[in-house]
Amino acid sequence: MIELSGITKTFNSGQPNQFTAVNNVSFAIEPQRITVLKGPSGSGKTSLLAIIGCMARPTTGRIFLHGVAAALPFRAEGSDSVEITGLPERFLNEIRRSTFGFIFQQFNLVKGISVLENVMLPAYPTGEARTDFRARAVKLLEQFDIARHAGQRTELLSGGELQRVAIVRALINNPSIIIADEPTAHLDSRLSHDFMSIVDQLKGEGKTLLIASHDPVVCDSAVVDTLVDLRDGAVVQSRGPL
Amino acid sequence: MNRSIERHLNILDFTLASLLRRKGKNGSLLAVYLLVVFLLASLQFYVTALKREASAILDDAPDLVVQRLMAGRQDLVPAAFVGEISRIRGVTRVKPRWWGYYYDSVNGANYTVLVSDDPAVTPGRVAVGAGVARARNLAVGDLVPLVSYDKKPLMVEIASIFPHRSDLVAADMILMTAQDFHLLFNFPDGQATDLAVSVRNPKELPTVAAKIVALHPDARPILKSEMLRTYQSIFDWRGGMTLMVLASALLSFIIFAWDRATGLSAEERREIGILKSIGWETSDVLLLKLWEGTVISLTAYLLGTVLAYGHVFFLSAPLFAQALKGWSVIYPRFQLVPVVDIYQLAVLFFLTVVPYTTATVVPCWRAATTDPDAAMRI
Amino acid sequence: MRRSVQFLLFICTSMALFLALPLHAQYEQRHAQKEPEVLRNLQVTDLCLVTEARYTRHPALADRHAPFQEHPLALEHFPSGSLIMPNNFQGAAP
Repeated sequence: MIELSGITKTFNSGQPNQFTAVNNVSFAIEPQRITVLKGPSGSGKTSLLAIIGCMARPTTGRIFLHGVAAALPFRAEGSDSVEITGLPERFLNEIRRSTFGFIFQQFNLVKGISVLENVMLPAYPTGEARTDFRARAVKLLEQFDIARHAGQRTELLSGGELQRVAIVRALINNPSIIIADEPTAHLDSRLSHDFMSIVDQLKGEGKTLLIASHDPVVCDSAVVDTLVDLRDGAVVQSRGPL
Repeated sequence: MNRSIERHLNILDFTLASLLRRKGKNGSLLAVYLLVVFLLASLQFYVTALKREASAILDDAPDLVVQRLMAGRQDLVPAAFVGEISRIRGVTRVKPRWWGYYYDSVNGANYTVLVSDDPAVTPGRVAVGAGVARARNLAVGDLVPLVSYDKKPLMVEIASIFPHRSDLVAADMILMTAQDFHLLFNFPDGQATDLAVSVRNPKELPTVAAKIVALHPDARPILKSEMLRTYQSIFDWRGGMTLMVLASALLSFIIFAWDRATGLSAEERREIGILKSIGWETSDVLLLKLWEGTVISLTAYLLGTVLAYGHVFFLSAPLFAQALKGWSVIYPRFQLVPVVDIYQLAVLFFLTVVPYTTATVVPCWRAATTDPDAAMRI
Repeated sequence: MRRSVQFLLFICTSMALFLALPLHAQYEQRHAQKEPEVLRNLQVTDLCLVTEARYTRHPALADRHAPFQEHPLALEHFPSGSLIMPNNFQGAAP
């Protein structure tokens, strides 16, 4: 579980263009559930995702990760919780790499290399043997029915296929939490529904999913467990267990 | 340890894939770099080897050569000088030498003609260098007419031809007896071209030279150390050929290292942003760039140096041959004895590999240290 | 074989060749043949590199006026003349 307590993110603090992207947000993200952050553009969804995903630090507030993998060396003895807000950079990187997988709005795939290479990229700096993560990548590509495109460059794929490549890449290091930022922004409604089916499938495999979206196909989907409504950086409403 | 090695191999795999993605650009970069290293290393090997050959020759050279000047031009040395110089304290031997240049109108070549007391060289029989034999298509036993200064032909028979490995010393030489030499050049009796002086204590050479000049103000003594200095300076980096090659090579290198150093393209920056966003740390990105710089520079340096060695010591440096040959009809076909100066190779390494690799890594520092959340907004 | 291993093998081979260069040079130097006796007795002072003119053929013995003796306008033999610096004699007139 991820527990947020009083998270605030302010940009350009003390300057005339000071801007608060996230304002005193507190809620919990249940494990093995699908949580959606709903809100229009500028409501602070992306900033909040970045903070939860250990990509950025909040200005104030705390975040706890409960039920964390045993391998992390900075976890307190006898406890399975870590407060990530105060951790040094290298530990944050460690957590980000081992715990989170990201699906970006623009997919963020590298041009000019194959689908397989793109998918394996997050595993390169981990020091894992290439044969191991390559086998895992091929298996995942087969699972998501894009193995036939493994050798192709990403520029030649359709929107839906790119979406699935991005999902496979997010799964390559076997993270427990998947974060997706506006995953259906470039998809039609049929593909958006397909995406939600995949999300449900991942939940069935034991993953925790956190999705930021203002797409009704996502927000109103029956598979969503918790919906958190954000407006101007603050939680205005939530449905589901908090 | 294993994880560390795997990490390096994985990142190197990606580096190579990235480089191969832009085959044209990286291929030409490598080619230019290799050419620069090749030229600089060739020059280094060539110059060092020639300096060594010159030192070897000068081992046998006389301690002092005495010439005579007449109104600023070199003139013949009277035999009387021999006795006078022999009496100077410290001088052990004074040997008159007869030598000069013969212009062959048949092929426009200049030969160096010397008098030798070698038993193989007898009146009417000469020993020639391989260059002379090549220029006139001669074999042992052939008869060659030389035109003497009183227009009479001097027929000489080729007694022997020096092997071509002696070309650096004797390619253009004709050795003959004193009698033939005097006939060929109508050389006046009682004169010599110059004097070869041997001295007991080499430290006294400047003193002996000063005494010679005091005895004969028209004499011009040349010390062995001065002869050696000639060859040290001929191919010095301040000299013509070396400076020109060095300057153009370094200039092209600076231009293309500058191109690398002036920053990343938008595409490269985006790619680094993506890598940061999917879990690559700053150190991973910098390692990627380090490998990128190292792959190109190390390949160019190693290949360039090895090829340069082959160019100079196996192919006799055909690229430089043209620069030296000029109008010469006779050009020695020499095979230089390989000389490798480790210090100079190390300098070449630090002048080429280190700056290029630095120029690849440093510009991406900023992009590599960007917060990963910036990549969320790519 | 993965690309990184191929590249490393290539670099190792190149490195081996590179390190063999000084060894080859030492071997050649040890086995270099000396000049024939007759040539050593001549006590020559210059390498036979450029035979165009006396100051390019015998730069160790050439004086500063030697190039001027070639031509009234002292047109230099190119490029060899530009490569051969005039010597700096201590003892006597240049």
